[in-house]
Amino acid sequence: MVGIVSYGFYVPQYRIKVEEIAGVWGKEPIHVLSSLGIEEKAVAAIDEDSLTMAFESVSMALSSVKLKKDDIRAIFFGSETPPYVVNPASTILAEFLGIDHHYLASDTQFACKAATGAIITAASLVSSQFTSNALVIASDKANAKPHDPLEYTASSGSVSLLLGNKNIMLEIVAMSSFSSDTPDFWRREGIRYPSHGGRFTGKPSYFYHIQNSASDLLKKQHLKPSDFAYGIFHMPNGRFPREISTTLGFTKKQIEPSLVVRSLGNSYTASALMGLVSVLEVAKPNDLIFFASYGSGAGSDAFIFKVTQNIKDKRQEFRKKIENKTYIDYQNYLKFMRNL
Amino acid sequence: MISPVKIWRRQKEIKQNLGKKGKILTWTIIYVAGSEFKTYAPYPVAVVKLESGKRITTQLVDYRKEDLKIGQRVIVILRKVREGTNEDVLVYGLKVKPIF
Amino acid sequence: MVSIIGYYTTQFGELWEKSLSDLIEESITGVLRNTRLEVGQIDAIFFANMLAGVLENNLHTPSKIAEIVGVNIPVFRVEAACASGGVAFHLGKNYIEANSGKTILVVGAEKMTDHSPEETTSALSSAASGEEQEAGLTFPGLYALIANYYLSKYHNKEEAMAYVSYKNHFHGSLNDKAQFKRKISIEQILQSPYIAYPIKVLDSSPISDGASALVLSSNPSTIKKIKKSVAVLSSEVSTDTISLNKRKRLDEILATKLASDKAFSRARLKRSDIDIAELHDCFTIAELLAMEDIGFWKKGEAGNRINELETMYGNNGELVVNTSGGLKAAGHPVGATGIKQIGEIFLQLTEQAKNRQVKNTKFGLAHNVGGSGGTAVITILGV
Repeated sequence: MVGIVSYGFYVPQYRIKVEEIAGVWGKEPIHVLSSLGIEEKAVAAIDEDSLTMAFESVSMALSSVKLKKDDIRAIFFGSETPPYVVNPASTILAEFLGIDHHYLASDTQFACKAATGAIITAASLVSSQFTSNALVIASDKANAKPHDPLEYTASSGSVSLLLGNKNIMLEIVAMSSFSSDTPDFWRREGIRYPSHGGRFTGKPSYFYHIQNSASDLLKKQHLKPSDFAYGIFHMPNGRFPREISTTLGFTKKQIEPSLVVRSLGNSYTASALMGLVSVLEVAKPNDLIFFASYGSGAGSDAFIFKVTQNIKDKRQEFRKKIENKTYIDYQNYLKFMRNL
Repeated sequence: MISPVKIWRRQKEIKQNLGKKGKILTWTIIYVAGSEFKTYAPYPVAVVKLESGKRITTQLVDYRKEDLKIGQRVIVILRKVREGTNEDVLVYGLKVKPIF
Repeated sequence: MVSIIGYYTTQFGELWEKSLSDLIEESITGVLRNTRLEVGQIDAIFFANMLAGVLENNLHTPSKIAEIVGVNIPVFRVEAACASGGVAFHLGKNYIEANSGKTILVVGAEKMTDHSPEETTSALSSAASGEEQEAGLTFPGLYALIANYYLSKYHNKEEAMAYVSYKNHFHGSLNDKAQFKRKISIEQILQSPYIAYPIKVLDSSPISDGASALVLSSNPSTIKKIKKSVAVLSSEVSTDTISLNKRKRLDEILATKLASDKAFSRARLKRSDIDIAELHDCFTIAELLAMEDIGFWKKGEAGNRINELETMYGNNGELVVNTSGGLKAAGHPVGATGIKQIGEIFLQLTEQAKNRQVKNTKFGLAHNVGGSGGTAVITILGV
């Protein structure tokens, strides 16, 4: 049995409201709200980046477990805003965490599914006994071109998962992945802001890939949406996850607890995982959770999780924590994102 | 260029204080900074006495105005402390934020 | 027995036309002329400077000075941040005590205005610890940490610091070599913008260029020929941690205390014997601390006592402080300051201080500090 032993998250202190951004570009906030389903998003401070946020989320994940340093022999850092293009953030993180040196470190990129792909790899390393524990970290300080629609949604956040084969709180029952070459959203080397194909990011991209990874997995496990307590889908905005869940046959009630995007924005690699964090705050032992991420370029990783009795000790307070926030204006948003 | 070797040595030394709690002994707000820190000004710097007795000098972040006082309880966190040019190694180090 | 037999200072200020070499040359030529000595009668030169290495990539100054002056005598460069001048003097004095019958020059010079204020601020922070630099602390920032602590502990307002600036600017108006000869009011000081809370622009000494030089001698016949000379009764140096957070107390500069105890003991004098003093007011808070740490006033009382202005020229106080204008008004070309301070005491004791001459001065003290208190030098002179 392989699964998640503990988890952690980090959402920065600062928020910017959609109406603050809309006001700068002369747009009606109500139009943005209805088309994107987002009210405000989280913004990391000027001195924060994907690495410093990862440190916070991993610290939370490790705080509730007693591990020998040698137990973690694989660390995956998934991001589309890593501090370096060449130089692993996973080792910088491990050094600050005080993890001993006998580990495999790997930085991964695949747009918003950089970390979930690594869950598949990490889980396999645990079941093959390469390591008894593995860390998977998702972290992004997502940036967007000013005036682009992405400016309303691209946000900051981090989620960390500690995988293992003992004391599991969330069992990984099954996993599946679906990939293709679909250039819906990309960022070239040396270029600051990502570019995207507008409406091309919808049907042939997000919807197509999740549709396939999800149906593959459900078919493989002979399960249907009604077998699940919760469904969690990648959240590029407030509308897409609702639409795909309906298409697949999940109900509003099943996906509502995961929809953090409305108040936190899309933290890219941490987006769907933040939805999982939100669900885990309320999930009960034996609940089945369906989870599908999406990464532009493109691909989708689907998982079936089962909650165990151990959730009671490992649950993390989430909703109350994210209410501790400070609003910033557009100028400070630009300053924090280093767009000035 | 910021020396990567010096950064490497120093980061090994400071990580032991991450997550530690302490109190502000004294503080200031830097309004006029040197070349490297110009973009960040104004920013507060404090001398903090940790529970272990050790004292560190570092910036305070994620604070409200009323948190900037002698005696305020703080926790040590990881942040970028220096950025240099876009060809330099990034410097991660210690800062503190208020806790209640 | 060592005596100071001559002094010269250049103007302090923004001296665009003058390079560091020009300033060094002017001060050496000036002091030799004042003393009616030839460069051939000088046995060695001690040179104080802090920033030439950092700002101008200019080290090996001994050789540079040998070129400027045209000598082959020993030249020694001394650096201890803002205490460079005092320490150079200390080393020079000890040198001619150990080699009696010699005459030397002690020169301090600094060129700070060739670079932007940010570059100079960064260069000055080299006197702080690595940790302090990494935290983005500046010089004013370090003293601001001290000031905030002191004002809070002794229940003083920022106004207490303003009186130091007010007094020293008044003195500066009497000194033709001072960078600022303009009097300022308490309100102006309190309304000036913050550089590092609670230290404001008008609490801070400026960025300045300048050079000062002294002639010291342990040669009895040379000293006898000079009408106006002053005996060096003691010169003591103490050090302390470079890191502010490693000091025993944040409301005192221990190095000043230790150097003072040694200096008064060596000179066999009491604090009350001092008539005239030059104290290191790089920031106004520093003069308040100095009055306490040297022992003129009790710890914690400076903030309440300074507003009586007993140490201001013309108020008939027992001790007058910083008639040169201090670092605040005279200017603070770092390497030159320590020399200028001693030079000012020399002028006062030899009745050459013109319109800022304090009457009946017998014993004087100069106090020079490096960084946030990592080095302190106390020099006591007497006639």
